[in-house]
Amino acid sequence: MVSQVVKVTNEQGMHMRPASLFSQTVTPFTSDVKVVFNGTSYDAKSVMMLMSACIKCGAEIEIVCDGPDEQDALKKAVELVEAGLGD
Amino acid sequence: MHKGIAASRGIGIGSICVIVEHELTYDAKKIEDVESETKRFQDAVEEFKKETAEMAEDIRKRIGPKEAEILEGHLVMMSDPTMAGEMEKMIAAGQCAESAVSAVCDMFIGMFSKMDDDMMRQRASDISDIKTSLLKLLLGIKDIDISKVAPGTILVAKDLTPSMTSQINKDNVAGIITEVGGKTSHSAILARALEIPAVLSVPDITTLVEDKNTAIVDGTEGIVYINPDGDVLSQYIRKREEFIKKQSELKSFVGVPTKTSDGDSVELFCNIGTPKDAKKAIECDGEGIGLFRSEFLFMDNTHMPTEDEQFNAYKEAAVTMGGKPVIIRTLDIGGDKDIPYLGMKKEENPFLGYRAVRYCLGNKDSYVIQLRAIMRASAFGKIKIMIPLVTCLEELRAVKELVNEIKKDFDANGIDYDKNIEVGCMIETPSASLIADILAKEADFFSIGTNDLTQYTMSVDRGNADVAYLYSTYQPSVLRSIKHIIESGRNAGIPVGMCGEAAADPLMIPLLISFGLTEFSVNPVLVLTARCIISKWSKSEADSLTEKVMAMATESEVVKALKEAAKE
Repeated sequence: MVSQVVKVTNEQGMHMRPASLFSQTVTPFTSDVKVVFNGTSYDAKSVMMLMSACIKCGAEIEIVCDGPDEQDALKKAVELVEAGLGD
Repeated sequence: MHKGIAASRGIGIGSICVIVEHELTYDAKKIEDVESETKRFQDAVEEFKKETAEMAEDIRKRIGPKEAEILEGHLVMMSDPTMAGEMEKMIAAGQCAESAVSAVCDMFIGMFSKMDDDMMRQRASDISDIKTSLLKLLLGIKDIDISKVAPGTILVAKDLTPSMTSQINKDNVAGIITEVGGKTSHSAILARALEIPAVLSVPDITTLVEDKNTAIVDGTEGIVYINPDGDVLSQYIRKREEFIKKQSELKSFVGVPTKTSDGDSVELFCNIGTPKDAKKAIECDGEGIGLFRSEFLFMDNTHMPTEDEQFNAYKEAAVTMGGKPVIIRTLDIGGDKDIPYLGMKKEENPFLGYRAVRYCLGNKDSYVIQLRAIMRASAFGKIKIMIPLVTCLEELRAVKELVNEIKKDFDANGIDYDKNIEVGCMIETPSASLIADILAKEADFFSIGTNDLTQYTMSVDRGNADVAYLYSTYQPSVLRSIKHIIESGRNAGIPVGMCGEAAADPLMIPLLISFGLTEFSVNPVLVLTARCIISKWSKSEADSLTEKVMAMATESEVVKALKEAAKE
């Protein structure tokens, strides 16, 4: 299992479009991908779960990947958040 | 008369068509044949996706990509494995498809509607729409075909679902009234995009009206009349004509340079608060950004924004404006604007205290971060730096000194920036106004902030109802101050703009033309109105009105004279 803490910097936070892009990006990986925010863990492959976390701009989230391609999944996910989630 | 939320401007008069909501009732029975129930559910989901994708495509073509996003969002949510997965789990446990859809949707609706974020709460109504559509598909209920209503129809509904709005033909629908929904709801967004007058959140309206009732929808004021008498009707027919005339007149100002009637050009810029607003400025035909308030970066945040975070925001605005000027006001906090993580002290007199440029120069480390971010972004467009609340020359010099140090650092490290980046003063204090001639020698431009200038000149807190009557830009003292600032700037050969509310005020515009204001900066939605009013005044007409007004002794005389001369 690997994980990394990143900061959400796009203005809108984890709204529909960013959440959708995030889940689409991690879905192809075999590994489990979770986002931990405020002590709760959310399935990152589910746009509904991601949105339900109410993650806003400036929030720090931990991305946790577990599975055979966990390194690649984590790298992709972190890059996406750092690049502003497509906003 | 019924009151509601004014959601889409204009006046619609016509004959009512009530959209009856079908009761979405079903027997919550136990399922024996799980396999065929799952199939029934999956077929409904497939049908939902197909219909939604078609509607999204239709709206994208007919109205625009932004409006289609709502439906595309529905598609994304219903394609989420969690949504369908949870529903299928419940079916596998013996629930019927309708119960499963309701239960899972209700759970998400409950979750989203409790969030402290407007946009997130909007998701609750998205899921409610999904639920309704899925239940209709499962129960075999067809909506009435709105695309076939007669011309001059006023649609009345509890709520307009996106599937209903996608069928609206703007040639036939004269107005929209609903029981729920606010300014940012789907119905409101679509009504505005289609330019159909709409009043939303009118209590119980669906039960108060019948088909073929005559109705007036005043979407500007948020008022609805059902079966109005002849006087009201003729009054509104007249209002409707005036509105249509005004709208078509304003449309004729799209893409036209801003000029007085005798051909003097002035600049017409926009005030914005976020980089995204720059798009709005372009859509509204603004010619630049006269005031980009940088506070949002600091206020919607839990920490001091980094240089890169700020750089990205400023760059986005500069790129969106594509080479048109973007005047960025550096951090203007203190006064009534507090930012918790900065830990600013409570003050006895915050408006006379540690705010704006005073705070920035007292916290140079963080100010330099902002200036660096702005200057790096200046490589991507025409950015200017504006200093708020200047009261003396030393402040301007101190900021220019910082800018020069950053330039040296950038040159030494090969960082791109606009070498001719301008540094100007916001003139909004009596002190800056009185020494405008001195400041003009060293500032690259001025921008008058009329809100603070009025407050400080009149020594009045406009939030205090007992003294608010003194807060008026038409006070002779304030007018003299504005005149002096503009003339001082013009004498020194620097441009003078105005980014306060007065710049879009039809009564002030002739005075500003006469004083020689070079740039008007207004709320994006007021660009066309301001351009229209400017176009109606010639310099000589404005001069003779101004001469008369500047000789007046009281505010009430001034207002009376300006109102009499006003050109709407």
